[in-house]
Amino acid sequence: MGVIKKLPVYTESIPGGALVVTNLEAVLNFGRSKSLWYLLFGTACCAIELMCTGASRYDFDRLGMIFRASPRQADLIIAAGTITKKMAPRLRKLYDQMSEPRYVIAMGGCTIKGGPFYYDSYSVEKGIDHIVPVDIYIPGCPPRPESLMEGCIHLQEVIRKQKLSQWQEK
Amino acid sequence: MTQQELTPYLQANFDGKLTLLDTGRAEPMFEVKPDDLLSVTRRLRDDLQLKFDFLCNLGGVDTGQRLEVVYSIASTTKHLRMDFKVVLDSANPSINTITPVWPAANWYERELYELYGFEVKNHPDMRPLLLPEDWNQGHPMRKNWDAPDFIRMPEL
Repeated sequence: MGVIKKLPVYTESIPGGALVVTNLEAVLNFGRSKSLWYLLFGTACCAIELMCTGASRYDFDRLGMIFRASPRQADLIIAAGTITKKMAPRLRKLYDQMSEPRYVIAMGGCTIKGGPFYYDSYSVEKGIDHIVPVDIYIPGCPPRPESLMEGCIHLQEVIRKQKLSQWQEK
Repeated sequence: MTQQELTPYLQANFDGKLTLLDTGRAEPMFEVKPDDLLSVTRRLRDDLQLKFDFLCNLGGVDTGQRLEVVYSIASTTKHLRMDFKVVLDSANPSINTITPVWPAANWYERELYELYGFEVKNHPDMRPLLLPEDWNQGHPMRKNWDAPDFIRMPEL
């Protein structure tokens, strides 16, 4: 009953089963945090680690994370790799095509502040946080799959704490 | 013809249009005048002793003092390699296209214009290739290039 323990619920036995009273916000957030479908968006070497995390050794599926090839079906965009100035409008476009609630993970040094391309580079966007709002930053060059999973687990915690009214304000 | 016979052959048969440069490398490096470029390249390709049919590389150089375009070519049938360069006028760098001779030069020359700002005359298709569509910050591979968000590596 690990699931029930994490949710604020009141249960009472009734003939033929049990009556459960709970909080809509908690149930919604629980569902959202456990089915983060992410957009396939690998632009550089971080994508190799992302693929590794998605494969059987680390297995993203056990967090309920399945890759989607369409932004319409995705909840999360893992920006895995260098974002060039030419790619930046495409990233924004893909983000805009996702339905809310939507989240962004900036994976690796390039997406945080340009990484190894901070100096002497005319083509690399120095951080994606002025293109799309970023929820979680994962440092590393590239981050190991463990770091990526840790970041995703942190994102799940963020999602579990969010308020329903938050989305109306946005 | 072997690679060793190549340099004397080029010096004897190209009316002095190919000047051998001292680079210390095994493959010979020649200099060509900008006006002779098209005739020399066409002859390198069509000469039955040479048959340079493959453009390996085409790149720009900005040393800070002068501007150059470097070509590397190879012959797949005669197993020869050679490089040659064209030194450009710094005030008005422009060069003839060699796309009619080696079609592989098409994209290289588009890149050359975008990144170095060398005008490529008579090029068949001069659309932007690499930089963003709304790029208006000049030619970033030039030594004196600068932009508001361009950060140079500090001296260590």
